[in-house]
Order: sequence, then structure tokens, then C-alpha cells
Amino acid sequence: MAVLRNWKIHVFALIIVIISELIGTKRIPLGPGVLLFLPMLYAMIIGGIISWPRLKAVKLDEMNTASTILSLTALMLVTKLGVIIGPSMAKLAQSGLALSLQELGHFLGTVIFGLPIALALGLGREAIGATFSIDREPNIAIIAEKYGLNSPEGRGVMSVYICGTLFGAVWLGLLAGYLAALKVFHPYALAMGAGVGSGSMMAAASGAIKAVFPEHANDILMYAGASNLLTTIIGIYFSLFVSLPITEYLYKVLKPILGRNADKAAGEGVSK
Amino acid sequence: MKWIDMVLVFALMGVMSLIGNTIGYKLPLAEAAIGYVIMMAITLIGILLARIVPFKLPMVFWISIIALLSTSPLSPVAKPIIAYTSKIDFLALCTPILAYAGLSVGKDLPMFKQMSWRIVVVALAVYTGTFVFATMIAEVMLRVEGLI
Repeated sequence: MAVLRNWKIHVFALIIVIISELIGTKRIPLGPGVLLFLPMLYAMIIGGIISWPRLKAVKLDEMNTASTILSLTALMLVTKLGVIIGPSMAKLAQSGLALSLQELGHFLGTVIFGLPIALALGLGREAIGATFSIDREPNIAIIAEKYGLNSPEGRGVMSVYICGTLFGAVWLGLLAGYLAALKVFHPYALAMGAGVGSGSMMAAASGAIKAVFPEHANDILMYAGASNLLTTIIGIYFSLFVSLPITEYLYKVLKPILGRNADKAAGEGVSK
Repeated sequence: MKWIDMVLVFALMGVMSLIGNTIGYKLPLAEAAIGYVIMMAITLIGILLARIVPFKLPMVFWISIIALLSTSPLSPVAKPIIAYTSKIDFLALCTPILAYAGLSVGKDLPMFKQMSWRIVVVALAVYTGTFVFATMIAEVMLRVEGLI
């Protein structure tokens, strides 16, 4: 019954859920698209404010409990997506080729987009750990084993991991909602893209896409769930055997080109 | 974590999800509650399998397999499971999960304050890159195959 010892955290969570759902989904037009605010975003933000260390409302021990509960309850999303995929496995198999190939976008998109920006901003080898993958728990283990967590690569992977924990879901929810509202991409393509390999980020992204295209709700969750499953399971091996060597190679090639003007900033790339 | 604690955590999350499900998505409470209990059972069976099967595969894998099979055309109970679980909105499950995520934010803030704005920009680029590139490839492939 250890979970109940920190009962305060559950009371906070319950109140947050009620407030967030009462506010409901809000849409704010911005340029050609729409910023979509879902109850889960309010929940994350209100929770974050309550746990702000200055307020002393939540003790460290309770925050650790909340974090454990988070990883356990995220499994319910896997179940929910599983029962949605079940009846439409034949339909899913039809798009098997698209589903498999878009995984390359998940695995290499972090490097293609992230590494040049990291180098242009003057990061050193931190850039390798930061951009070789989406930097969730299994990826940290890979970097820890290969370079150690006190290395530049280790600091890179840990920093992006923390950013992901703090605002990955909020960012992807807003980004996916905005891209979906632009109606440039088909909801199925967006749904596959939403399966980034992290439960909370996938939830925020696919939830936003579902809110923009409610008529495709079930298909969106089906594709997002299948894609997320592939990213999670294959991603561990892909990031170790393919992404990391590619990132190392691109770092060597691009560093002299992109990092030239940024040498002054080197070393302070990760910490102030 | 002990089984009793896991069951308690899922039960607490169930109460919150069902309240949210009723307030935010106006779905029938009794049917949604049955749906939630079914999903909770599937999740626990998946966790159990991950613990007792000798070759190591992630929990996510086992839970997915059980969930998939339970509603696949092969399953004799697919119809009721689909009917009840569809009464729980995906978003209603997300809200309590992200509430707990928010409540654990404070423990990472001290380390975050040590970080430079540069790495924050890189992190956003990493998440944007993975989502946008996968979406683009999916869009092209679905069009090439004539599926959309």
C-alpha cells in the first residue's frame, strides 16, 4: 500500500483532472492554422505549477511517486490503442509498407533536423547524444553504456531527456494540432508521424490530430498506436546499430563546416 | 512495484479517467466503467506475462499482444470488449497521466535551470524532426500506394 502513503499527490491529480476537463478543449487561431489546447495540456501545466519547488506543495518523495505512477499508467494507453487496432488488423496490414518506411523518418528525423541546428549553435560532442534519437530511457542506456553519463554525449542525451519530460508533450501537442489544422497532410500520415516512441508525446500529438479530424478518430488512434509500437520496439535496436554510427559520422563531416563560427560557444553548449 | 500497489494505482487512475470521461466527453458512466475494468485486466495480464515469460521482451509488447488478440476477429469476446472499451475516450485516459507527469516536473527543474537555452532549442528540433519527417514519408508512401 506504499502508493497510498503519498495520498496528497492523488488528491492533487484528481482536482487537476476535474478542472482540466471542465475547461475542455480550446482552439485559438494563429496564422493559417489553429493552436489546440487539450485538457491534458492544462493537466501537465497545472501539475507543473503545483510541483514548482518554491511552492513547497509537493515533496521530492511525492514527485518520485508521481513519476513512477506516470510510467505505470501510461501502459493503459498501450492497452487502449491495442483494443482499437485489434479489429482492423487487416486494414493496418494494407498500409504495412507506408507504416514501415515512415519509421525511417522517426529514427533519422532527429539527426537530420537536430544535428545541423546543434552544430550551428556551437554544441560539441553533446550534439551526438542530444540528436541521435528521441532520447527516452532506452536511448539513455545506450549512451550510458558507450560513453558514460558524465561524458559530453551523456550530458547531451540527459539534457534532451529532461526537456522531453518537461515540455515534450506540450510541444508535440501544439505542433501536431497546428500541422493538422493546416490540412496539408492527410490525418493518417499525421497519425503515423505521431507515434514518436514516447507514451505522453504520442498521446498529446495523436489527441490533437483526433480533435482536428474527429470523423477519423478511430483510424488516427489505430495508426498512431501501431506506429508508436514499432518505434518503441524497433527503435532500441535501430538507434544503437544504425542511428548512433550515422550521427557520429555526420558529426565528423558537418562539425568543420557548421561549427566554424560557433567555436567560441563550444563547451558552454549544454550548461551555462 | 507490488501487485497490490499496481492495482491501486490503476484503480485510482480509473476513478479519475471515469470522472473526466463523464465531464469532458459525456460518455455513459456504467459502460465506461466496465470498459475500464476490462482494459485494466488486459494491462495486468500483459505485465504478468512480461514477468513470467523467460525470454525478455518489453511490457509494451505483451500488453499490445493481449489487447490486440482480445479484439481481433479471432477472439470470441471481441464484440463486447470493443463495445465497452469504446465508451472510454482516449483523451480521458491521457488527462490523469499528464497530471501525474506535471506533478513530477519539480524534480527535474534544478537540473533544467543549469541548462543553456541552446540545448532547449536542440531538443525542440529533435522532437519536431522525428514527427515531421515520419509524417512526410507516410504522406508520400500512402499516396504512392493509393491508400489516401
